[in-house]
Amino acid sequence: MRSASMLAYNLTLAMQSFKRAPSLYFLVVLTLSIGVGLLCANLALVNSMASDPIPEKSEQLFHVSMNTWPNDDPQAEPFHILRYREAMKIVSSDIPKNSAVFYASGVYARDSASPSLKRFDSSVRATTPGFFSLTNAPFAYGSGFIKSSVMEVVIGHELNQKIFTGENSVGKVLELDGELLTIVGVLKPWRLRPLFYHATEGRAFNLTDDIYAPLETSIDLGWSIHARSSSTVSYKGVKFTRDRDVFYLQAWVELENSAKKQAFQYYLDNYSQSLKDVGEHPLAIRNELRDVNAWLLEQNIVDQKVLAFTLASVLFLCVCVFNASSLLLSRFHSAKFEVGLRRAIGASNKNILMQGITESALLGVIAGLLSLLLSWLFLKLSIKFLPDLENLAVLEPKLLLLGVLLALVTAIFSALYPLYRGTRYTISAELK
Amino acid sequence: MNFATLNIKGLIKSLLLRKFTTGLLILQLAITLGLLVNSAILAFDTREKMSKPTGLDDENILIVSTHPTSGSYRDLDYYRSIVNEDLSKLNQLPGVNSVSITNQLPIRGRGMLSNTHDIDNPEQEKADKYLKDVKYTLAGEHLAEAMGFTIIEGRFLNKSDELDFDSEAKNNIVITESLKKGLYGDESAIGRETNNGIIVGVIKDIMLDPTLPRDKQYGLFMNTIMKYIFIGRFYVINVEPGQMANVRNQVSDTILAVQAERDIFDVFTMSEHLKNFYRDDQGLSDLFLLLCGLMIFVTAISSYAYSQFHISRQKKYIGIRRALGARKQDILLYVLTENWLVYTIGCALGLVMALGFNILLSQYISLSKPDMMLFLLASAVIFVAGTLATWIPAVKTSNIPPVIATRTV
Repeated sequence: MRSASMLAYNLTLAMQSFKRAPSLYFLVVLTLSIGVGLLCANLALVNSMASDPIPEKSEQLFHVSMNTWPNDDPQAEPFHILRYREAMKIVSSDIPKNSAVFYASGVYARDSASPSLKRFDSSVRATTPGFFSLTNAPFAYGSGFIKSSVMEVVIGHELNQKIFTGENSVGKVLELDGELLTIVGVLKPWRLRPLFYHATEGRAFNLTDDIYAPLETSIDLGWSIHARSSSTVSYKGVKFTRDRDVFYLQAWVELENSAKKQAFQYYLDNYSQSLKDVGEHPLAIRNELRDVNAWLLEQNIVDQKVLAFTLASVLFLCVCVFNASSLLLSRFHSAKFEVGLRRAIGASNKNILMQGITESALLGVIAGLLSLLLSWLFLKLSIKFLPDLENLAVLEPKLLLLGVLLALVTAIFSALYPLYRGTRYTISAELK
Repeated sequence: MNFATLNIKGLIKSLLLRKFTTGLLILQLAITLGLLVNSAILAFDTREKMSKPTGLDDENILIVSTHPTSGSYRDLDYYRSIVNEDLSKLNQLPGVNSVSITNQLPIRGRGMLSNTHDIDNPEQEKADKYLKDVKYTLAGEHLAEAMGFTIIEGRFLNKSDELDFDSEAKNNIVITESLKKGLYGDESAIGRETNNGIIVGVIKDIMLDPTLPRDKQYGLFMNTIMKYIFIGRFYVINVEPGQMANVRNQVSDTILAVQAERDIFDVFTMSEHLKNFYRDDQGLSDLFLLLCGLMIFVTAISSYAYSQFHISRQKKYIGIRRALGARKQDILLYVLTENWLVYTIGCALGLVMALGFNILLSQYISLSKPDMMLFLLASAVIFVAGTLATWIPAVKTSNIPPVIATRTV
């Protein structure tokens, strides 16, 4: 009870103090909130880049890299893209709970029943059916396709909004680059940050795809490869890749425990050995399974420019704290008469200290709230300067909390030395 | 004047009285200077990168990136006929010198690459790793005019270099000067055969991939774009000087008038393309400059608060000095000198900070080492900003009347 009324009293005193020197306190709040806001905006970007996109099973999903390059020339390291033959070997194994091999493509899409000829540029994931359960893709309507060679597709939320204004479009027929494919599923809004299933070629922060199409169908239709491909032979398009040394498919497998992982590693190594036995595997056998976080780490997707700027904004926050500290010192100095008076009529040093801390905590809370606004503003500004970061600029609740906490801590920290000085003035000297 | 010099000792003593605030201000100044210097380095680095010559007619090249949206284009003969129609219609626009088509643009990282070596000497690739990633551009025969290539040996591609689509014959190719040097040194390359075809011409280097060294701009061109028409994404238009805006306004309509089922992603000049390549560098450099602005602002507030605080504590002594005969300008100079002393110490420490920050930043991004000129420049900025910020308190101080002395003794 007493402490509650003390708090109320301290808050009243703080408000009085703010009123007495409004411009000074305004500057303190402003500098602290700019400093915290800027740092928070950067941390939000770093957080988006470094977060785990699928925490529920990131440790059970593995990216497959293999070392099957057919000559000993350029590719000495295991390669993140595979030939069709390796991909099929992976898909046909029953060790993984789920597996997916895919490549990225793109088509123009329109509702085949619509009178309008307007077509939408759509990114395509040409994949085996295991993709949906492997990635936990969230379905709004319908489900995934079951076979790899049917004229069926699953579409994403945004494309469904654009073409069918968001209604249940299962059963409708899309015209994709002149071919008719039936929609069997529509996804809910689906954000993966980073886009772990395709983190290479600078795509880690792309949005999820517009269209998910069966792999064999896409190959048969000749939908071109939109990501990295590499080959030792020339070929006339994706239709001709099945039996050639064209590397373009990425593979992911879901292995629930380390025994399964070992079994699958053994399965891959065995396959490579069988190639070696017939002289088709000139390089050393190195098949690598990396889980989601290890894979993302290896891809080095955290933007170095943002890290550099974060570093600078940490320094800036230091400067802001120093600034607030010297401002508060001058404030407490000019308030020493008042402090002396309160001490003389019976307030203890502890009371004075508590009062000072209450004041700076209040400052911190105000600065914290302002910094939320500013960090939102700085995020918008960063996107303007670095447009590639657009899909990353989100302030998650935990960052908002961090911002307020940071402001609180820096405000109290800034006030520490001024307070220490403030409580050391002798009563008599100040009241002389 | 003498007043200030005589009292340097007094100044230091008075600074020491305020160890904490002085220390804070000095640290602030040092950090600000460190950031200023490195931001300036970033800005200059970016500027230097962007001003490197591209070897192209930057201002007069207009590029259209487009892709068909209709399934009819799966018939490649149809596709080709539309492209030919596009090219001839674009060529007829007033102000257009030349039009061509290509699969990829210069001034880009990676892209379509191929390993390249003299047909009899595959070992070359082991000695020069850049030969493994030679930029492989499919061109039409007018690309040289459209881009403004300079031919230094042989000729550019012509109609006769375009083989029948099912022909297995060897292609004729044109290569860049640096690739010629990489393959054949100072010998002539005309008529020599590589794994990618027979060389018929050499062009002066252009900036193919800015991330590679100047002398490793390896690239080759062959007249096969019509064969692989489905990857012909870019129309390259050479425009007469002064006609750019005019032509630019018409290209989209011209193309869509030929056949409307096309997506035109973008219409841009080569200089915009160059700018766009460095967009992130520019963005980062701008962000750093913004931060510098904020930092100077905060530091100026601190300098102001520092002098203000100082007055409130020193009123009495300054009053005494005034009573003892110090003139107003002496006091002004005294206050300013005191601040300048702080700035000098701050800047000296800032030199260390600038170096340290440079090392720290270069873990993440590439930037040049700081030089003395920049450091001096940044110090000047600090001095000017600081002096401006302390001017009002300093004037106020000098206005303290001598009578204060009698009141407070």
